[in-house]
Amino acid sequence: MNGVMVGWAVQETTSFVSRFVEGLTAPKGVVDFLVLSFMLFAVGVLGVLSRRNVLIIFMSIELILNAANLNFIAFTRHWQAMGRISENMGHIFVIFIIVVAAAEAVIGLGILIALYRNRQTVAIDEINLLKW
Amino acid sequence: MELKGAQVLFYYALAFFVLIMAVSLIRARSAVHAALYLMGTLIGTAGLFLLLHAEFVAGAQILIYVGGVVVLFIFVIMLVNVREEITEATRLFTRQEAVAWALVGAMTVATIIALRREANLLPPAVAPSEETALALSEDTQRVGSALYTRAALPFEIASLLLLVAIVGSVILARTRRQEETFD
Repeated sequence: MNGVMVGWAVQETTSFVSRFVEGLTAPKGVVDFLVLSFMLFAVGVLGVLSRRNVLIIFMSIELILNAANLNFIAFTRHWQAMGRISENMGHIFVIFIIVVAAAEAVIGLGILIALYRNRQTVAIDEINLLKW
Repeated sequence: MELKGAQVLFYYALAFFVLIMAVSLIRARSAVHAALYLMGTLIGTAGLFLLLHAEFVAGAQILIYVGGVVVLFIFVIMLVNVREEITEATRLFTRQEAVAWALVGAMTVATIIALRREANLLPPAVAPSEETALALSEDTQRVGSALYTRAALPFEIASLLLLVAIVGSVILARTRRQEETFD
């Protein structure tokens, strides 16, 4: 009875480990990039929602935009390898996202400097003039 | 699209690098360190773009993000006093941190469910024809031709957007004394 259970546990563990190693060394497709992009997005959302410093919030927004860019590039590559598309419009989208991100950073940091000049702080929970 | 052999190794190295840099970014006490971590994340993402044969976008990412946006961040850190966060006594996070964690947890669950259901709907990544790696110049050529033919109108609108951003940032960041001097 005991030997059977130990044998079962050993068998299950070795099969899990072998499947895990197999997954690690398997060819990486678009889904792996989606997972990575999601993790990057989640870290960015966490930064935006939880940090007090406005500068770090801006940097987290850049992380989120980068996660979206990674998705665009991965899907372009995927569909090109499939032979479904020949153009790379996804790359064009990424270039426009980069342009908009640069414009957003410029305007946001301009607002931040004006805010700092008026309030002497960059902590968002101390900037509460619009609170009811 | 399938990454094989050494490319898998590069995928893992870059993925871990990017994620470690991102987590360090949102936990950094010093804003300058956070800017450097952001730089690491962006360079790692550019490496992933290279892995996906998007050479032009990787170059643009390095030039615009690392060369432009991160430098802008560092300049603003210089102008704005964020030194008080470096001491241990100041809080780094808002009091709504639990809500943020709950939201990210819900997002994770939704993504796992969606990936398990939809990933099989994606057609398997077997190339029907021979998949030839594009030459470096060919990728740039294709991006350029798409940018100036099908995306010509958005391209012009982007130039207008950049102009408005330049003027807007100057107007936002000027001081009263500067206004009086130039009136």
